[in-house]
Amino acid sequence: MDISKDILLEIYDRMVTTRFFSERINEFFIKGIMHGTTHLSVGEEASGVASCMALDKGDYTTSTHRGHSHAIGRGMEVIKIMAELFGKVTGCSKGKGGSMHLADFDKGHLGSNGVVGGGFAIATGAALTQKMKDTGKIVLCFFGDGASNEGSFHESLNMASVWKLPVIFFCENNLYGVSTPVSKSMNIKDVAVRAKSYGIPSYIIDGNDAVEVYKTTREAAKYCRSGQGPVIIEAKTYRYLGHSKSDECEYRCAEEVNRWKKKDPIIIFKNYLIENNIANQIEIKRIEDKALKEIDLAVEFAKNSPNPPLNALTEDVYA
Amino acid sequence: MKFEDYNPLEEKVFKIMDKKGKIINTDDMPNFTNDQLLYLYRTMLLSRTMDEKQLSYQRQGRMLTYAPNIGQEATQIGSAYALEKEDWIVPSFRELGAWLIHGVPLKNIFLYWYGNEWGSHMPEDVKVLPVSVPISTQLQHATGIGMANNIKKENNVVLTYTGDGGTSGGEFHEALNFAGVFKAPTIFVIQNNQYAISVPRIEQTASKTLAQKAIAYGIPGIQVDGNDIFAMYVATKEAADRARRGEGPTLIEAITYRLAAHTTSDDPTKYREDAEVEEWKTRDPILRFKTYLENKGILTKEWDEKMKKEVENEITSTFEEIEGKADTKIEEIFMYHYETMPPILEEQLKEYKDFLEGGKNNDK
Ligand SMILES: Cc1ncc(C[n+]2csc(CCOP(=O)(O)OP(=O)(O)O)c2C)c(N)n1
Ligand SMILES: Cc1ncc(C[n+]2csc(CCOP(=O)(O)OP(=O)(O)O)c2C)c(N)n1
Ligand SMILES: [Mg+2]
Repeated sequence: MDISKDILLEIYDRMVTTRFFSERINEFFIKGIMHGTTHLSVGEEASGVASCMALDKGDYTTSTHRGHSHAIGRGMEVIKIMAELFGKVTGCSKGKGGSMHLADFDKGHLGSNGVVGGGFAIATGAALTQKMKDTGKIVLCFFGDGASNEGSFHESLNMASVWKLPVIFFCENNLYGVSTPVSKSMNIKDVAVRAKSYGIPSYIIDGNDAVEVYKTTREAAKYCRSGQGPVIIEAKTYRYLGHSKSDECEYRCAEEVNRWKKKDPIIIFKNYLIENNIANQIEIKRIEDKALKEIDLAVEFAKNSPNPPLNALTEDVYA
Repeated sequence: MKFEDYNPLEEKVFKIMDKKGKIINTDDMPNFTNDQLLYLYRTMLLSRTMDEKQLSYQRQGRMLTYAPNIGQEATQIGSAYALEKEDWIVPSFRELGAWLIHGVPLKNIFLYWYGNEWGSHMPEDVKVLPVSVPISTQLQHATGIGMANNIKKENNVVLTYTGDGGTSGGEFHEALNFAGVFKAPTIFVIQNNQYAISVPRIEQTASKTLAQKAIAYGIPGIQVDGNDIFAMYVATKEAADRARRGEGPTLIEAITYRLAAHTTSDDPTKYREDAEVEEWKTRDPILRFKTYLENKGILTKEWDEKMKKEVENEITSTFEEIEGKADTKIEEIFMYHYETMPPILEEQLKEYKDFLEGGKNNDK
């Protein structure tokens, strides 16, 4: 499978945008400029972005609490995401949702979700719609290793497989659910093994390799689109920062973190682009500068946007 | 027997006795005395007769809704017989045979189905939890009791049941996952009776077997002929031995069939063919066990007749003991959730009583 230069560079663009965005958000939280909480995916950009890039226009995604890479990966405007995190009316959820309510229905992004395992049933329902309306579109459902232990995982995978619904269940296995390592939350090594419970295919991939993520997702999407039912993809990856803003990471050692940093998804992908003569240093730099600029502008935009009015509090709860 | 020899992905099913009552796997045949064999047979008869009686009482308007076990006696009795007295049974709602084996008095069973809360009040030494109507929620209780057993360093095991339909509940996943991680000494028996009300097994899940769901939790899972009392006993015993050795949980899929309706409010002719039912009748677990006992000269016609009378009398006299005397008091619906009734339930009780007395507070 050949991937066009345009797509490869767009993947790089969205990956670095996610990285810079996350680092900026982290800074804002540390300085007390931004409030509430947030879960950053620094270190997980390849799995989050390259998978989204492998989807077609009109396909759907459901995300998790750690959803910035997915929102950016689906092409949501950074200004709207930034404004949402600042709680401003110009945000994608009118400033009332924050980091765990990043959605853009026009882009097929059904949203990040504060409930661990909350996306499974939404994705399955969306896939049922695609099947019943025969749209030819598919759904990609992101979830964490921890979420795979939730009852909603089981109920959704069971239903999706028995009804042959077009969903890619995409696990970003970053080896921890908050402080709990996978080995203490399940008696198996790989989440993907669970596919056997539902008689469906699965893939285990290097989640830090954007090319592998993209190709595998394309292949899985083709399978789903052909009406054969759901697939599990398990992407092994790692988060560099704490689980959320208040996490000192006392449950893991520096050696482990450093080992993963040597496999940084952005550096791996940058080297791939250069070694394969897809982009040179100058082009790479241009993409990175553009991403930084976009974030600066988004911060400006968000800061200058108004807060939601008090009476907005009760709006948008029910249709 | 070894669980490893029965990989569900290869669709291997553990069996000892075929449908004609012939022993086809002598290596694994358990060593029962004649008394044990006759006791098992008698319990099967008791269970079957109890079902038939309850169904007819219900039709006569003397009993409430009832869920019969007809056809599933070997699954329930064979598995429960592998337990020790101190072990726990955590039932779903279709485990009559297991209750009888584990010492639940007939009276409790009648009271339960009569709608009386005292039916769930087991004698102190009978380690059986009450019926769990919300499908698959009991599995988590079973894992929890297993985990408690480990913490308390006791050596008991927990035997719990669910239906084929129950395997689709989120609680199934969470319970088996925790049991796997914490090595709970819990045995999960799926009574795969081919239907969840009207939903056939094939529409329940896409996996070829239910036993293979064990793979998701890193625990052994096997398919067993659920109409073969010996196979059910041996598989459960092996699972119990493993659990006692600290090796954790096991998933057993018992392949069986519900010969009667789902409950007294169900009409199975709406969703399944008579021919299918007839075919399964040839695999009747009691019939095959009886043939085995007769061929061995253990069971005579006279004994059989005598036992049938005996169990029938036992059932009739127990029912007569409670009939008309065991109506539930209104209070009892509210009383046993907490040790003492909290104000919110007291309020509800009062409101309900007022309602029954002519709706005093009704217009507010
Ligand atoms: C239903 C529910 N339970 C608990 C939480 C608290 N919580 C937030 S994130 C998280 C861990 C999720 O782990 P995982 O699915 O591996 O995703 P990761 O954070 O590693 O990306 C927990 C327990 C929650 N948000 N929702
Ligand atoms: C949570 C829940 N949903 C639905 C029901 C209604 N209900 C009662 S029995 C049953 C089917 C159960 O099927 P299965 O697990 O195969 O057990 P079986 O009845 O065949 O023994 C259903 C859906 C229920 N009791 N609890
Ligand atoms: Mg059933």
